[in-house]
Amino acid sequence: MTPRGTTAVDEFDVREYARTARGSHRAEIDGEAIAEAGLTPDAVHLLRVLRDLERGTLDRMRNLLVTATHKDARVTAFLATWAFEKYWVADALDVVLGAVGADTTPLSGPLRKSATERAERRGPVRRALAGNIAGEDIVAGHVTTGLVDELITQVAYRRLGEAAAALTSLVATLIAVKDRHVAFLAEEAEHKLAASARAVRLTRKALAQAAWPIGATEIPASDRTFFETFVFGDAEGRTAAARIGERLAALPGLGAEGATVTARLAP
Amino acid sequence: MAFDIDKYTTNSAAVGWSDLDFDVFDEHPLPENTLRTLRYMCDIEYHTTCYLRDLLTTPSHNEPEVGAFMTMWNREEFWHGEALAAVLAKHGITVDYDVLKATRLKLGWKDRLDPIKQSVMGGLVGNDFVAVHMSWGAANEWSANAAYLRMAELEGNPVLAELLKRIAKQETRHVAFYASQARDRLKDSKKAQKLTRFALSRFWGPVGSGVQDDAEVTHVMNHLFAGPEGRKLVRDVDSHIAKLPGMEGLTIVEDSLEKRGIAA
Repeated sequence: MTPRGTTAVDEFDVREYARTARGSHRAEIDGEAIAEAGLTPDAVHLLRVLRDLERGTLDRMRNLLVTATHKDARVTAFLATWAFEKYWVADALDVVLGAVGADTTPLSGPLRKSATERAERRGPVRRALAGNIAGEDIVAGHVTTGLVDELITQVAYRRLGEAAAALTSLVATLIAVKDRHVAFLAEEAEHKLAASARAVRLTRKALAQAAWPIGATEIPASDRTFFETFVFGDAEGRTAAARIGERLAALPGLGAEGATVTARLAP
Repeated sequence: MAFDIDKYTTNSAAVGWSDLDFDVFDEHPLPENTLRTLRYMCDIEYHTTCYLRDLLTTPSHNEPEVGAFMTMWNREEFWHGEALAAVLAKHGITVDYDVLKATRLKLGWKDRLDPIKQSVMGGLVGNDFVAVHMSWGAANEWSANAAYLRMAELEGNPVLAELLKRIAKQETRHVAFYASQARDRLKDSKKAQKLTRFALSRFWGPVGSGVQDDAEVTHVMNHLFAGPEGRKLVRDVDSHIAKLPGMEGLTIVEDSLEKRGIAA
């Protein structure tokens, strides 16, 4: 166990990432062309779910920052930029919804309340208390669950592109935005899990309690079911879910968690 | 005037300095006391994440306008930290992420309990607590703005002055947001006014106190605000705060100078 920074070289350049963050996508969205091509009800539905998930970023930020994660300046530098990019991703989705005259209000309805996801529904006080006990090793759990989440949404954007040809170029841009999130989180997860057995234990626990994608506990039950079915319900989706599981299982100290996550992506 | 959030988010950008010739510092390095103050400012800008955390534990961020602002504000302040770090780097002072992490780890239990305290308060007091946060934010941004402009003037180095003016310009927009939020939330609620007045007069301290060593806070206050000119600027900040509904007569910034024995 060597502390990070002595042997492992950080390949992801956070400063470079922050410097080249992607802001507004509005100039590249051809609203008229999208309106003319039209979107299927499923594509609109998926857009709304994704938009709500992207808009939930500040809740995620809060949950991370009330723990020791806020002390890791490299991670917080990433998060400042990540939140900015996600703000503009949500904005782009809103513009698309507006272009086809779809309802842009947040989705509402009864939530799914399963026992395994209870921990995900905790408020800031209980998270801060739990986070204080966990200490610095909890950062590993945050970057690992963050990684899984980004991989899931990447698949969702890919499916969106398949369902709506008019969105091909926008979807490619959004996936590229997420590529860098994935790169950073994967590298941090790798380092942090390799450095501490306790980090591995806490990460396993975080994965066992997670609701996917992150923020799903705030998405109405019927919309969650739609998302799971549309993104991961068919053969292609199941393959994509399996890949996410494999990628997770390859991280230091993790193994069986890969299959658990894969199984939970399409219940 | 209402704050135009769409305009703000659209124009929000990382402060730029690539067009500024920082090599000028090789020939004309900044003096020790200025570097010490810049170091303080740099740390505080990076520390914005910790304030963001406290704000996020209140119900305020669920409002789209507030959430949008916080996202942009947090990033802009991060970039102020990066810009100041670049100036410090030209003087051989490294502020890397590991150093910042060490500062944050040093904060210990107070820092760990803060979000809990904030959240419990937010839960007990509800929406009126948001007024405290917004007024507090306005007071901080007003003082930051005054500090940057004063520093630009005191040092007289044109490159540094230009950078600090760019930073101060962004702080002006932050002031506009916080002050308009504070005004709206205070004007309709006597309870919010009472609570805010109590919090500001009892607990407010110069930006960075509680995070930085006390000796550093006093150094910066002395450097920037000692003497009649400095005192005048501080009184200007106080007069802005006092114009918020229910805050008449508050002189929290001047009081904090008095408490530290900084001469007018």
